[in-house]
Amino acid sequence: MSAALALFSRELKLAWAGGGGPAGPAAFNLAALALAPLAIGPDGDTLAAAGPGVIAFAALLATLQPAERLFGEDAADGTLELYALSGAGLATAVLMKTLAFTLAVFWPIAPIAFIAALAYGLEAGPALILSLALLLAAPGLALIAAFAGALAAGLKRAGLLIALIAAPLQVPLLVFAAGAGRAAAEGTGLEGANLMMAAAGSLAALALAPLGAAAALRARLE
Amino acid sequence: MSDGLSAEFTRADVRAAGVALSRGGRTLVRGLNFAAAPGEALAITGPNGSGKTTLLRAVAGFIRPDAGEIHVEPASDVKIAWLGHAEGLKPAETVRDALTFHAALQGASPELIEPVMERMAVAHLARRACGTLSAGQRRRTALARLALSNAGLWILDEPTAPLDAVSRARLGALIADYRAAGGVVIATTHAALDWPDQTGLDLSDAAREARSA
Repeated sequence: MSAALALFSRELKLAWAGGGGPAGPAAFNLAALALAPLAIGPDGDTLAAAGPGVIAFAALLATLQPAERLFGEDAADGTLELYALSGAGLATAVLMKTLAFTLAVFWPIAPIAFIAALAYGLEAGPALILSLALLLAAPGLALIAAFAGALAAGLKRAGLLIALIAAPLQVPLLVFAAGAGRAAAEGTGLEGANLMMAAAGSLAALALAPLGAAAALRARLE
Repeated sequence: MSDGLSAEFTRADVRAAGVALSRGGRTLVRGLNFAAAPGEALAITGPNGSGKTTLLRAVAGFIRPDAGEIHVEPASDVKIAWLGHAEGLKPAETVRDALTFHAALQGASPELIEPVMERMAVAHLARRACGTLSAGQRRRTALARLALSNAGLWILDEPTAPLDAVSRARLGALIADYRAAGGVVIATTHAALDWPDQTGLDLSDAAREARSA
């Protein structure tokens, strides 16, 4: 088994079992989705119009919630040193860890988005598009959160710093994921372009975030 | 090759000349020279705060010396195994899973895992989660990881600290076999490491020089 595969399967197991797995972010996501309508008001049309934006925003919040423990624990328990010295290298370790974490912890984002979209009054078609858009955006959101988590690893009040670093970088993914759902709901025919932009955002994060996070973690080792 | 040690590694040569190290803006040591060839063990001693751990981190490449150079040759091939104060064990992972992972990560044969666990006396703990182990048991698990690391250089920070006498003897035998296979060990210590033919490196002088400069 190659080193990268070993890293992926270990981190998948740890993310699934440790710290409640997907339950924490999913609860965060659901709480935001349940509270927003209470603030927006009971009008059905308003809720349906706000739905894609609120749902994409709740998904973004869910990706920020566990970012602190993503590398904070590795920095504290000495795992970081071992990953840095492994033949695979830190960037590979970051990439494998974040992808495994996305798969194990953030998978509920898409089904939650679909169900929430129906509950907010969207048709099944647009709900599916929105769910697909968040499925494409989730790896990018997670990678950016991981980059912020790496910059803040081991610091006090890392959570605040992570939100301040990650949120602005996540804006394009938020815009295009919500945009895809809204375009589908309004029938503007632009959902395809929005989906592609969401996927492009994730691919850009895939290329850049692991290198940035690895550089941040290497600085943390000094 | 003796049982319970993965030894398919590139032999390492460590040379350091004129090394100065600082931490938090304070110079710890200055003008430090040392070398370790395959099969040699270097025991670093010195009072608390004299820069032992900082020196190890510099040899591992985590930090850059302020002056001087540390070479681990051949730089492209040598793998380094690290054992710090934190063992790098995950509380939810079992001992066997942790060692299986590290064997796969470092390209050691999975068939070695059982003999290595026997050797470091953690075989009976194989199914225990690492979070439930005592300090000594954690350290023995980390030493089993070293034995599977296929690295030409072992860097150990206070390896004997949580170990009882029997475990220290086990560590001594492991180190002896590793050195016989051509491995290099650089360790910090307070306790006397009764490893044969070890080279000593006392940081007191280099620390005094740094203070007076």
